[in-house]
Amino acid sequence: MSKTITIDPVTRIEGHAKITLQLDDEGEVAEAYFHVTQFRGFERICVGRPFYEMPYLMERICGICPVSHLLASAKACDALLAMKVPPSAGKLRRMLNLAQLIQSHALSFFYLSSPDFLIGMDADPKERNLFGVMRKHPELGRGGIRLRQFGQQVIETLAGKRIHPGWVVPGGVNESLSIDKRDKLLAQIPEVIAIAQKALAWFKIEFENFREEIRTFANFPSLFMGLVTPDERAGYYEGKLRFTDSHGNIVADKLEPANYAEYLGEAVEPFTFMKFPYYKPLGYPDGIYRVGPLARLNLVENCGTPLAQQEWVEFRALERGAVLSSFHYHYARLIEILFALEHMEQYLLDPIITKSHARYSASLNNLEGIGCCEAPRGTLIHHYRVDEQGLITWANLVIATGHNNLAMNRGILQVARHFVRSEKLTEGMLNRVEAVIRAFDPCLSCSTHAYGQMPLQIRLISADGKVLDEICRESFSPEA
Amino acid sequence: MSKALVLACGNSLRGDDGVALEVVNYLRKDYCDPAAEFRCQQQWTPELAEPISQSQVVIFVDAAVGAPPGLIACRQLQPSPGATLTSTHHTSIHHTSMHQTSTHHTSPEFLLHLAEEVYGKRPARAHCVTITGESFELQETLSDAVRDAIPRSAEQIKALLFEFAMPGD
Repeated sequence: MSKTITIDPVTRIEGHAKITLQLDDEGEVAEAYFHVTQFRGFERICVGRPFYEMPYLMERICGICPVSHLLASAKACDALLAMKVPPSAGKLRRMLNLAQLIQSHALSFFYLSSPDFLIGMDADPKERNLFGVMRKHPELGRGGIRLRQFGQQVIETLAGKRIHPGWVVPGGVNESLSIDKRDKLLAQIPEVIAIAQKALAWFKIEFENFREEIRTFANFPSLFMGLVTPDERAGYYEGKLRFTDSHGNIVADKLEPANYAEYLGEAVEPFTFMKFPYYKPLGYPDGIYRVGPLARLNLVENCGTPLAQQEWVEFRALERGAVLSSFHYHYARLIEILFALEHMEQYLLDPIITKSHARYSASLNNLEGIGCCEAPRGTLIHHYRVDEQGLITWANLVIATGHNNLAMNRGILQVARHFVRSEKLTEGMLNRVEAVIRAFDPCLSCSTHAYGQMPLQIRLISADGKVLDEICRESFSPEA
Repeated sequence: MSKALVLACGNSLRGDDGVALEVVNYLRKDYCDPAAEFRCQQQWTPELAEPISQSQVVIFVDAAVGAPPGLIACRQLQPSPGATLTSTHHTSIHHTSMHQTSTHHTSPEFLLHLAEEVYGKRPARAHCVTITGESFELQETLSDAVRDAIPRSAEQIKALLFEFAMPGD
């Protein structure tokens, strides 16, 4: 008798995602579905608006990674103007992107996922939260807060405010960085680099305790995609797209992001609002690929900064080809934090960063523009068409989390097949199904960005609709 | 290290939700004490625990739902990981209790608790001043009753700051 397990909602915030596990007659997991049940509709909302409003409309997509949308949108607008930005503005934008990466990765690793590592996947969820982390490893907890705080501080220093800043404009940025502000940021870099190094040193020992999760958390062959610069580093703000396979071989290289429609298809499925991008030459669903921190470290030939380079070499030595386990997204995030801090220091030491000329202006020169950058979760593409008056007539957004949709669904299936073995549901099983999603750090309008306990419900339902088993996590106070 | 920290929370695009930001803007023009720091936030986030831990008094300012519009309420706060702000007719709208704790927003009590737990320190006193809103629709203007409450709520906050600044306090 086939049965269905539903986890609904996955998130505690807005309930915009759920998971369904379909069991076969033997009680084994046959299928797994990750349903994103929200619909935002930003691509329609913006139609009819002037293109120069787009960066500020689009950054409202997200409260965690608004900077990514701001940058991709501003780059699409730059393309509409057919212009480059001043050198100082280019570096300031890059630095803003790195700050965004630091704060977002710190949130994912320290706030959301470190309770699993420190307290344990099977632990009582009343203990498996940020307070549990603070009690067990206060230095790590404080370090995580400090890293996120620093990332946000850089965003605020550059762009005026931490969330939804309006500083990036088509043609550049609207204010340069003062020497005083630069010096204040520079002075903090050694401290935050030391925090990142300590966290890495801790995690490299800790993840040895998660061999089973490493083996089963979306650990399968797939392609990887991301921006790569001419000097073979991850191109967080610019570059050409590269695809590599699970052996680390380059499948396609130097692809223009503006031509994404030639090699990226977007499939839809009836059970979710999130699209399923795939690599066209391999078709759907064989064209599965992953993006984000794991992909970026798999794609490149070097990391680009001294300390991160050492860590990258160690990371890539985990496997002969590409590192395939999505559990290692966590590890990759820490390396990227270190890289971002080092690279930020390089920018701050560059005299051009404080040059006053930070914006060019131009009139509308193109009726179509595409902007692409690497968001914390992966490659982000904004594509706009405008009429002669500069009003948006059409928009398409290819969101970082969407690229990973196929991999997340397959990852849930892999975890569920490994851990769900009977009709009796357990907390450890529930948490691992969540944790594989958490490894990807999906941004479903931030709805999975919750820490502590998610109020989940898993139901085991027989074909005739009878509830065979049910497990509910009530919301709780950590000290209740 | 700031001795007094005034934290305003709100969204200026959602009508009366942004009243706390206006209160702090008013105070910035009207209250000049280098020992007081004013911050505007869109959400209460865990990172605030650190500056809170370094302050001797913290005043949270927020919009509230309920009635009547423009009603000003002030309460002294105690650290609590799971406390709610709900009172009989006053609920701060940027608060979630721990069971809803997210990386977006937390409660002032939760932040006080986090400051103590993580940094080993918390303010000697903490207050929450709320102004009841009337309309939280998509608009950048405040309703009349709420706008009228800005000077009065600023005075109330100033009184708390003066009280703190009094010698021997």
